[in-house]
Amino acid sequence: MVKHWWKILAVLILLYTIFAGILVPLKPGILEVYPITGETGQSINLKVTGYNSHYLDAQQKPRVWLKYDSVFAISASEVNLINNTRLDARFNLPNNVPGGKEVTELSLIIHNDIDGPSLLPSAIFLKQTENASANSWQSDIISNLPLKEGIQFPYRSNLQESIRNLYYHVPMWFAMMIILLIAAIYSFLYLRKKEDKYDHLASSYSAVGLVLGILGLVTGMIWAKYTWGRAWSWDVKQNVSAISLLIYFAYFILRSSIDDDASKKRLASVYNIYAFIALVPLLFVIPRLSDSLHPGNGGNPAMGGEDLDNTMRLVFYPAVIGWILFSAWIANLFSRIKSIREKLDIKKYEISS
Amino acid sequence: MNTLSTNLMIKKIVLTGLAQLVLISSILAQADTDFLRSTGKIYTVVAVLALIFIGIVFFLIYLERKVSKIEKEIGNE
Repeated sequence: MVKHWWKILAVLILLYTIFAGILVPLKPGILEVYPITGETGQSINLKVTGYNSHYLDAQQKPRVWLKYDSVFAISASEVNLINNTRLDARFNLPNNVPGGKEVTELSLIIHNDIDGPSLLPSAIFLKQTENASANSWQSDIISNLPLKEGIQFPYRSNLQESIRNLYYHVPMWFAMMIILLIAAIYSFLYLRKKEDKYDHLASSYSAVGLVLGILGLVTGMIWAKYTWGRAWSWDVKQNVSAISLLIYFAYFILRSSIDDDASKKRLASVYNIYAFIALVPLLFVIPRLSDSLHPGNGGNPAMGGEDLDNTMRLVFYPAVIGWILFSAWIANLFSRIKSIREKLDIKKYEISS
Repeated sequence: MNTLSTNLMIKKIVLTGLAQLVLISSILAQADTDFLRSTGKIYTVVAVLALIFIGIVFFLIYLERKVSKIEKEIGNE
């Protein structure tokens, strides 16, 4: 029992991440508005649908703005509350689009004392028309937006609840990297010491790493379908991770194509070390050199700002540790089976000869 | 010879399993119904968790077959 502590820890951590990752609510947000277009000088009534919001329960009537940039905005002339997640906001749209553009996008901001601020980027399109009206932009009217306290995950309008996939999709890749690193270290140890158990460990860890990679790719495709619009959009990170999986498929093809046991293990070890070294620039350098749909690429530092706030860190980092320990457990089990298999084969060979 | 053919069979089973995994996911991903988009896209999280579980189960089946082969051989001696 004592030596199994890390397996128990792995299961407890994963249970925590599943429960915390699913049950912690999202911050209030704005689901949609209707209509989504408006003309300059027009008076429009926006039907706003909120998410996890408390428009009626709030002490303070929600304040609603349409925002062009950090200076220009307009506040709603009239706000009607229908229920906690529905409100109508009337706007007298200004008579010009700033910067002389024909069409521009405006963001919607709502604030009340229970929900804190919520934002819908590109909520409506404002079209320039010839309209003689006296409405104009107000400047610097959005102020005093105290944030909401408490443990809640951020609301992003394109992700919504699927932001929780961060705790299940991304740890697959983190765990894969660590498990494949361990596999490469065991391959190195095999080359140094020529003990069979190191080869069993290396191939088992590689197999588990490959399974994690496949799961990471497939879960990513589901997530991408419902946030980026397509399961496979030839994003640079999708491409390089597919290539790195192919490199590890080749490792197993190499292993099964050599009959001589000693040279199989030696060659496979060398290839495994090479494969891991190839993985580092593929997964960590190339995605940062070009634009990607993944956050933290195209020159940006990963894992920062709104993409991973402090509340999410409380679940995300344990999830990474939990998956590493859990995968190491499975890999160890696999390698023990391989060791028994080989001992049995040697015994059979000795009996027959 | 017998071990070799069983080995091949296991490999076939695992490979078809993985192919099915990809197939299921592509069906889930291509379904035009808005089910996975409903209630704040929470069902994408359910789908992801279910897939990870299915992946682990396939790996367990693979290990299970390896162990039962060893058991059979030890029993035969």
